[in-house]
Amino acid sequence: MGGLQKKKFESGAATNYITRNRARKKLQLSLPDFRRLCILKGIYPHEPKHKKKVNKGSTAPRTFYLLKDIRFLLHEPIVGKFREYKIFVRKLKKAYGKTEWSAVERLKENKPTYKLDHIVKERYPSFIDALRDIDDALCMCFLFSTFARTGKCHVQTIQLCRRLTVEWMNYVITSRALRKVFISIKGIYYQAEVMGQPITWLVPYQFAHDHPTDVDYRVMATFTELYTTLLGFVNFRLYLSLNLLYPPKLDIKSESELKEEDEDDYAMGSESYLEKLSALSASLARVVTSTEEEEAQIDLFPTEDENMEMMEEKEKEKKLLEAQMKIFEGLKFFLNREVPRESLAFIIRCFGGEVSWDKSVSIGSTYEMMDETITHHIVDRPNVDKRYINRYYIQPQWVYDCVNAKMLVPVEDYFIGVTLPPHLSPFVEEREGDYVPPEKLKILALQRGESQQQPEEEEEEEEEEEEEDEEEEDNDEEDQVEENKLKKMEEQRSQGKSLQVKVTPGKVKMENPVRLEQEEKAEEKRLAIMMMKKKEKYLYDKIMFGKKRKVREVSFLKSRNKYSLLWERIHPFDPL
Amino acid sequence: MAAARRLKRVAASQPGFLTLKSNSTDLLSGRRKRVNKNKKKSWNKHSDINDVEEFLNDIRHQERTTGGLLAEKSDDSLFFLDVGQPLNDAQRDKPVEEEPVERKKRKGRVSRPLRIDLILQQDSLIPPPKDVLAYQQPNAKKLRRSAQRLEQLAAKGVVPRKQRQLLNRRPVERTTLKAVTEANNNPNRDYYDIWGQELKDLADPWYLQQTCKKRVQRPERLNEKPSTLPAVEVIAPGGSYNPEFFSHQALLKAAHEVEVVKQKEEDKIKRQLAVNKEDTATMETIFHEELEGLVEEEKEEEEELKDEEDVAVGAIVLAQKKTEKQRKKERALKIKEQRRMANRRMNNRQQQLFQLRSIKASIKQQDQKTKVNQIRRKAKQEAEKSQPRRLGKLKFQPQDMEVQLSGELAESLRQLKPEGSILKDRFKSLQKRNLIEPRERAKFKRRHKLKYVEKRAFKEIT
Repeated sequence: MGGLQKKKFESGAATNYITRNRARKKLQLSLPDFRRLCILKGIYPHEPKHKKKVNKGSTAPRTFYLLKDIRFLLHEPIVGKFREYKIFVRKLKKAYGKTEWSAVERLKENKPTYKLDHIVKERYPSFIDALRDIDDALCMCFLFSTFARTGKCHVQTIQLCRRLTVEWMNYVITSRALRKVFISIKGIYYQAEVMGQPITWLVPYQFAHDHPTDVDYRVMATFTELYTTLLGFVNFRLYLSLNLLYPPKLDIKSESELKEEDEDDYAMGSESYLEKLSALSASLARVVTSTEEEEAQIDLFPTEDENMEMMEEKEKEKKLLEAQMKIFEGLKFFLNREVPRESLAFIIRCFGGEVSWDKSVSIGSTYEMMDETITHHIVDRPNVDKRYINRYYIQPQWVYDCVNAKMLVPVEDYFIGVTLPPHLSPFVEEREGDYVPPEKLKILALQRGESQQQPEEEEEEEEEEEEEDEEEEDNDEEDQVEENKLKKMEEQRSQGKSLQVKVTPGKVKMENPVRLEQEEKAEEKRLAIMMMKKKEKYLYDKIMFGKKRKVREVSFLKSRNKYSLLWERIHPFDPL
Repeated sequence: MAAARRLKRVAASQPGFLTLKSNSTDLLSGRRKRVNKNKKKSWNKHSDINDVEEFLNDIRHQERTTGGLLAEKSDDSLFFLDVGQPLNDAQRDKPVEEEPVERKKRKGRVSRPLRIDLILQQDSLIPPPKDVLAYQQPNAKKLRRSAQRLEQLAAKGVVPRKQRQLLNRRPVERTTLKAVTEANNNPNRDYYDIWGQELKDLADPWYLQQTCKKRVQRPERLNEKPSTLPAVEVIAPGGSYNPEFFSHQALLKAAHEVEVVKQKEEDKIKRQLAVNKEDTATMETIFHEELEGLVEEEKEEEEELKDEEDVAVGAIVLAQKKTEKQRKKERALKIKEQRRMANRRMNNRQQQLFQLRSIKASIKQQDQKTKVNQIRRKAKQEAEKSQPRRLGKLKFQPQDMEVQLSGELAESLRQLKPEGSILKDRFKSLQKRNLIEPRERAKFKRRHKLKYVEKRAFKEIT
């Protein structure tokens, strides 16, 4: 065969990729600038499938980008700005070197800057796209806003982050969007639902920073640069959706309340407004002030029965949600000075409560500690000197647990000096058969409106039953019996979960048809198992064994649970 | 010049004019020599102008030294009456005391002009002639004329053309300042509705594209995230500040397992690097080494020799040539074998007709196998999407798990000691989601070795 000889690496994978250094040279940028550009434009390195082919026969580890991506970058106007900036720095250095101060002034005045608005628009063509990606932005902004102004990053960036986060929190308060809170050892996780999108963010504890050395601050600052722009635009849009003024203004009424004589003690004039906003204790001004909060009624259309049912369910859910959003309505909180003020104020205001603190703690307190109408006083110290009779003195965890339980949890467990119940993560979703902590069961029961005492009793009953089951297990050998037993266990579990079935004489009659049906079903299942092929049977047995094992583990854990505290005391470090 | 000369002549011809040098010997002496004076050259040569020159010099001298002709000066300016020194009573009384005072004054006198300056000073009393050229203006007449004309026009109220043009020019709009783009991190920057209604460009899209006025559209591929992991991974329930016992234990166990794996790797390296005790030299081995080659071991040598011979013979043996008969036989065998195989294949193919069922079954089996493989591969690909990829020199190193041991747990929120750093957590999260490649901090590399020099002052001490 004739024809030209095909050369290696001139087509296919090798031409689709470009190494980082070559891309950098193509764009005529320095490495930091290139890195910054990639972050801003959302172009990430790519791992090729066949590295050796792409790398032209070499196996050296390299960073690759898709060639088309880099070609796309060539059209970016910011690249030109980066080059301008490079030249600006060079000129400035020269001017400094020659001590030409007037030239330095002039250059600094004409410092080239750039905007990221068009990039935000390009990367997030619609508002909902931006909302989906807001998690990262929130985390980063909250993180940067807690930084000390020590020169790790620009002070201006810190201020901007602080402003944006305060705006965000004010939005969440006004829209009542908060759903979950989790105090972890790292920081506080929040989850809000904004326009149907669950948004999770992590807020660090105050003053918790040691600056790790192995983090590239330049990269983080670049991400923050993009995210501040994004978050600002998102905030604007969200405020617009609620008819709020942007930039946020305090309500006239609340502003007058907050007016104090010694304002100047707290902050400079330029900062005091932001400080007041960040106090989170006042509501925001609306564009149209006269409109009361009218709840939009969903128009009802006569439709088919199924749809009607669906609609009814939806409405029920909606009502429930609304009730959950108002759990602190009518309650008046006072925060002692040792509790995390911002977090608690944020949560309490999110659920409709009123909150205040000592005047000397922070700006924006609305009422004094002596106020007789205060219902809850949040304290985090072993004892308090002066107590008022008509209020509860509780520990801060109560607020968080109430939010996660979506109801007011009984206060008795949270009084001063009481050992607190564990703070459970609301982000865990137990699947059927998983181990559910007893505290959670208690809360679930409370949510259904049962008294507090019952679940414990039922647990005991369960345990007894389990023991019986174990005895039975010993006696029986055949599959069928095992199957029966499994069913029983499942039933119990469902009982244990729902805790609804009560033993009352009146209900015996009701159970008969159900039992008949169950028996029938069991019979059918038994027959089906008998008809199974050998292979399928083997698989089935395996599955059942797995299930059984799980159930056994859970019951074991439950039985251990009572002794767990004891166990912990004896073996503090090893896992069970 | 001419006027001045004339004046001098006139002065000289006056009857009372005195010359400073009076020698008229030339006029009186003998006969004059006859010379043709029809040529200018001879005029110069033979006419005696010394008298005129002298006269003129004299006049110049007078003017220079006295500022004019002496003859014209009045007598008062030339002479004075000497009446001796006027004597005052005071001077007469204290002639002795005066002198020291004068001396003092001399001492106090600031400065006499230097002699060199005095020499350079102009001593002529005639003022230097004016430089006329310095006062002359080129085109003076023309300019004067034009200025006059302009004045006339201005008086009439006519504006000249140039000025009219300037006046008619449109004023530059200085009110619009250069659009200053403020820095990105300006804390008071304003935002607007970026996702609001957009004004549609009415221009031709082709034109906009070709003139680079339209942004290049972002490829759809770039909107996909490089990893399926969520942006914020919530810590396990055991990471609560006041955890439930079992979830806390589960977290501890997970952290423990991570540590165990790390420990194992470390141990492995340690084991591999450990020195084998058998490899270390003992006295015996050293002794054996020293003896090496000194003691002859005959037996072994003999064996070696034998081996060598065998090898040599084997190498020398040549392949014997095959005979014609052998070749024929081989060929026949080969053909026979081929036939047999062909037969067999035919048979097989015929037999396969009866094996249809089993063949079908095997095909089915194969299909199933490929399907299973496909599913497995797909599942693997899905799982890989949430894994950190290898994007550079370094592999992704997950961060240490944040864990508080049972003893470290805080009793209340106030006493909580935060674990780990969120900054690092975010950074690692970005790496984990393949947004940035993991890399090490650039190390400072010294290009040249440092040179240590003892300073002289230090040297003297030591």
